[in-house]
Amino acid sequence: MEFLGYERPDGSVGVRNHVAVISSGRCANEMAATIADSVNGAMPVLHTHPCVHLKEDNERALRTLAGLGSNPNVAAAIVVGVGCENPTPYQIGEEIAKSKKPVEVLTIMESKGFQNLMDRGLELVHEMISQACQMQRKPFPLSYLTLGVKCGGSSAVSGVASNSAGGQVFDRLIAEGGTAIFSETAEVIGATHLLAKRAVSKEVAMRLEEAVERMEARIKATGVDIRGSQPTRGNIEGGLTTIEEKSLGALAKTGTAPLQGVLEYAEKPQSKGLFFMDGSAMTSELIAGEAAAGIQIHIYSTGGGLTSSFRCPAGWGGEIPILPQIAVVSSPSKPRDSQEKEFFDIYADTIVEGKETVDQVAERLFEEVIAVACGKLTKREMRSGYREPIVMYSTGPIL
Amino acid sequence: MKKALKINPKDNTAIALEDIEAGDSVKLASKSGPVGEIKAQQAIPFGHKLALANIGQGEKVLKYGEVIGLATQPINKGDYVHVHNVESVLLPPPKEVKQWNF
Repeated sequence: MEFLGYERPDGSVGVRNHVAVISSGRCANEMAATIADSVNGAMPVLHTHPCVHLKEDNERALRTLAGLGSNPNVAAAIVVGVGCENPTPYQIGEEIAKSKKPVEVLTIMESKGFQNLMDRGLELVHEMISQACQMQRKPFPLSYLTLGVKCGGSSAVSGVASNSAGGQVFDRLIAEGGTAIFSETAEVIGATHLLAKRAVSKEVAMRLEEAVERMEARIKATGVDIRGSQPTRGNIEGGLTTIEEKSLGALAKTGTAPLQGVLEYAEKPQSKGLFFMDGSAMTSELIAGEAAAGIQIHIYSTGGGLTSSFRCPAGWGGEIPILPQIAVVSSPSKPRDSQEKEFFDIYADTIVEGKETVDQVAERLFEEVIAVACGKLTKREMRSGYREPIVMYSTGPIL
Repeated sequence: MKKALKINPKDNTAIALEDIEAGDSVKLASKSGPVGEIKAQQAIPFGHKLALANIGQGEKVLKYGEVIGLATQPINKGDYVHVHNVESVLLPPPKEVKQWNF
């Protein structure tokens, strides 16, 4: 099977053709937003990383921001900064340049002032958009696609509805030679053995166990033992009996393919197939890491309840502006007519209502993935207005 | 008729897709279509589990085709399956959990 995408100089294929204006640090967010918002077709990439993190977090931020700029959905990028950020705008620009796409770096320090930077920024964005808008989509096999997933607002039926359908879509894409990434290290705690069984090698299984142990050690260092609290009382009230059951429901979204590797946060997979990324379950952090690893489309697999009546999608969905996100909902919402028809892309509540099977919903979701890959806008992409800055995963103290 | 979902052919439990009362006939769905019927012996709330077979004490309780725990007492076909009669292999919960009522 094929989709229509934009070929990039590094051989990857984008499903979107954004000109990204990337802020190098939170001090530069307003400049990046002002430049991008002045020109149709430019996309601001804003985030909350300050310069008071330590080495490991700064390196991770560099990998993330460079990864977002290198993402196949980006045609060209401008990195905007004051000049003194950590990572510096120059480091981010150098890393993006490795993907061979057009990239420019602008700093206040070098531009000799704010207004000079804004003027030059607008000029560059105009040039980049003029180039990008002339690119044509071409057919490519589905093996060029990388999907990411995150489950949110889990309910008693997310495991059997949206997560199961999403898992089947992962399996189908991988059977077509594609790639899929999932994360949420804390969700693997207590069920590492179930995932380790699917690892292609002992080394991969060991890396998975190490990632889980690291996360657990960090939790324990705060004086909390997460194992004693799993499943939570809320989970038990919802029908989950044991930690195995809870983790299996969460893992349902990963399908059944063998686990090819374990990635650091924002690390790109070096082969095709299914990958686990070490990271938090915080939505924005997680999706930013997957986007930096090169996913072109994200599936947001949700339970329902509050999530389906929450009208501020920028907040709960962890918006990553260069990434189309397909939102799937599991629980039937009683006043569905008044609910967010304009918000969810795929309704999987039909599984719970007995109107459709998991196979049928998975088929619809797979078709939606291909349609979105070919350019169909997701509900979230159609929305304009307020944008939530990206939050990146950090593990160290902030000074 | 009430509905429940058997996720994997190997499973000996199904998920109630609506609140089930004792004595209700329950239609079983699978990921690809209907797979029969069962009579509920006890009430099972929405999202909770129903036994599809007799499960002896110490035997495996299966969902998603995997072991989610072991039966701590004999469970009859059609019974409610939860913390009162199943325990994690990996991580037994604190004792008070068994006394919780839902």
